[in-house]
Amino acid sequence: MTGRAQARTVPYLFVAPAVTLMVVILLVPVAIAALLSFTDYSLGNADFSFVGIDNYEDIFSRRTYAKMIASSLIYVGVVVPASIGLGLGSALLISSLRFAQDFYKAVFFLPTMAALLAMAIVWEFMLNPTIGSVNALLSAGCASPFWHGLLSGAFLGVDPATSWYGNACATGFPLWLGDRAYALGSLCFIGVWQAFGFNMVLYLAGLTAIPRELYHAAEMDGAASAWDRFRLVTWPLLGPTTVFVVTITTIRSFQVFDSVEALTAGGPSKSTYVMMYAIYEKAIRQNLIGIGAAITVVFLIFVMAVTLIQRHYVEKRVHYS
Amino acid sequence: MMRSGIGETFKHLVLLIGVVIVIAPFYMMVSYSLKSPSEIQTNSGGFAGSQQPFVDEYCVKLGNPETACTVRPAVYNYVTAFSKAPLLRYLLNGVVVTVSIFLIQVVVALPCAYALSKLTFYGRDVVFSLVLFCLLIPVHAIALPLYIMLSKVGLINSYAALIVPWTISVFGIFLMRQFFLTVPDELIDAARMDGMSEFSIVWRVMLPTAVPALLAFAIFSVVAHWNDYFWPRVVITGNQDLFTPPLGLRDFRGDLDGNDYGPMMAIATVIVTPLVVAFLIAQRRFIEGITLTGMK
Repeated sequence: MTGRAQARTVPYLFVAPAVTLMVVILLVPVAIAALLSFTDYSLGNADFSFVGIDNYEDIFSRRTYAKMIASSLIYVGVVVPASIGLGLGSALLISSLRFAQDFYKAVFFLPTMAALLAMAIVWEFMLNPTIGSVNALLSAGCASPFWHGLLSGAFLGVDPATSWYGNACATGFPLWLGDRAYALGSLCFIGVWQAFGFNMVLYLAGLTAIPRELYHAAEMDGAASAWDRFRLVTWPLLGPTTVFVVTITTIRSFQVFDSVEALTAGGPSKSTYVMMYAIYEKAIRQNLIGIGAAITVVFLIFVMAVTLIQRHYVEKRVHYS
Repeated sequence: MMRSGIGETFKHLVLLIGVVIVIAPFYMMVSYSLKSPSEIQTNSGGFAGSQQPFVDEYCVKLGNPETACTVRPAVYNYVTAFSKAPLLRYLLNGVVVTVSIFLIQVVVALPCAYALSKLTFYGRDVVFSLVLFCLLIPVHAIALPLYIMLSKVGLINSYAALIVPWTISVFGIFLMRQFFLTVPDELIDAARMDGMSEFSIVWRVMLPTAVPALLAFAIFSVVAHWNDYFWPRVVITGNQDLFTPPLGLRDFRGDLDGNDYGPMMAIATVIVTPLVVAFLIAQRRFIEGITLTGMK
């Protein structure tokens, strides 16, 4: 019967476009990257040769790539805990408020909506050492005894000359993005500024899912302080949310590119040379496809490892959800 | 009672410090987009500047009389944003690209999700495993091989290059499948009794039931691709007619002279405003859409 035959082919017709695209757009490129990472291929060059693991050796031996791995890991290592800490902290504060919850929620979520490139350019402007408002504000504080006393630690009996702020008041504030010691930190700050609101929203959702009775039960059992209740009830029950938030923030932080490309171009002296930027600069700008492909493979291994660890946790903690 | 009042005030105080830091760049962006070059250089004039008319040097250099070149800063910044850079063209490109991506994603994902959730066929588990595996691969991470493939077929610097890599949303398939699993089978059986083909069941029965999920997915997809800078940067090399809004802004900043900070901030404001305003109007929907990735 033709009807039957049709019924049998229909599912395949339905999945065919998606499967084709998954193979062509996602699987084949992974294979190509893996293959090219063992060559010295470049675009527009007809012949190329296999160079074995030379590209990988470069990544793990040359100083430039050591800096690349280091700056990526530092960026992830700062942005992930900071944006999760701030996300969780603000979610806890907001959920305990009696009014204006929606106001704070909306404001903190705003950076998630705005193009990171545009906001990074605005931050660059604000961090500009001559006409930016950040240094203007900081040095205005030096002139006021109150702010100087507070920020330099003089109120606490610290010698102003030994504190960061007191010292900066005397010798000038940093160039931020132009200073090797501060550039990566400044980019991390922009990253945290953008990411924590997203994490806050996920934690707020996680918090509303915690049954009230559990807090009462914990109190009955002697968990008197707010810290005890957090440690015994809130934190464990937020476990699945935390696993998810850690994963997505880690993957996103590994992929940081917009702010790096626009503000520092990997500099000064490669201090902000993160992996995505390295792939872009080496392979696409300089046509060194082989090394770019090798970085791509290392990158994919990082990202896949993070997701697989997450899946492992999710399966272990399934009873919570 | 008294103590909890103090606690509440303290919480608001802490959160308000956060508000100031979060809002600061938005405030500065709009403020700079209204001010004159000299007010920007000297960091003066409050939020909106004095709006004192000033003489546009560039316009005078072109041979116009000074009176014709005297402009109000806010007007100057926004007019320059739209005239010196083809901002309208960028915005149009942004709309074309984001809308095309979303529509193709739906056309590809919906039938696949339907087949995976409501039809039984040999190899279904294999296809679903493929979906789960592909969820591991972020498209940005494989930008290099995609770039090589696109340049081999001569598609670099085209709308196709901006759209093609995003036509498959593995996440969209996964999401719609989960949603379709909750749709009762009776609904589909009834449609079959009425003699509807599987094809029209997808588009005339499943699609309407999936509108809430699709709306959330639309927000997710549009926000991601309107704001995306990395991918356009890779595949559009120099052809200004194809620039998306972030590329246009980056290009404008690239060849910046001292007078153009105001117009640059005007461009940034124009790019950021649509999504921010849409978000403020429909906050709940947007938060649902953006955090979709959280509802696994």
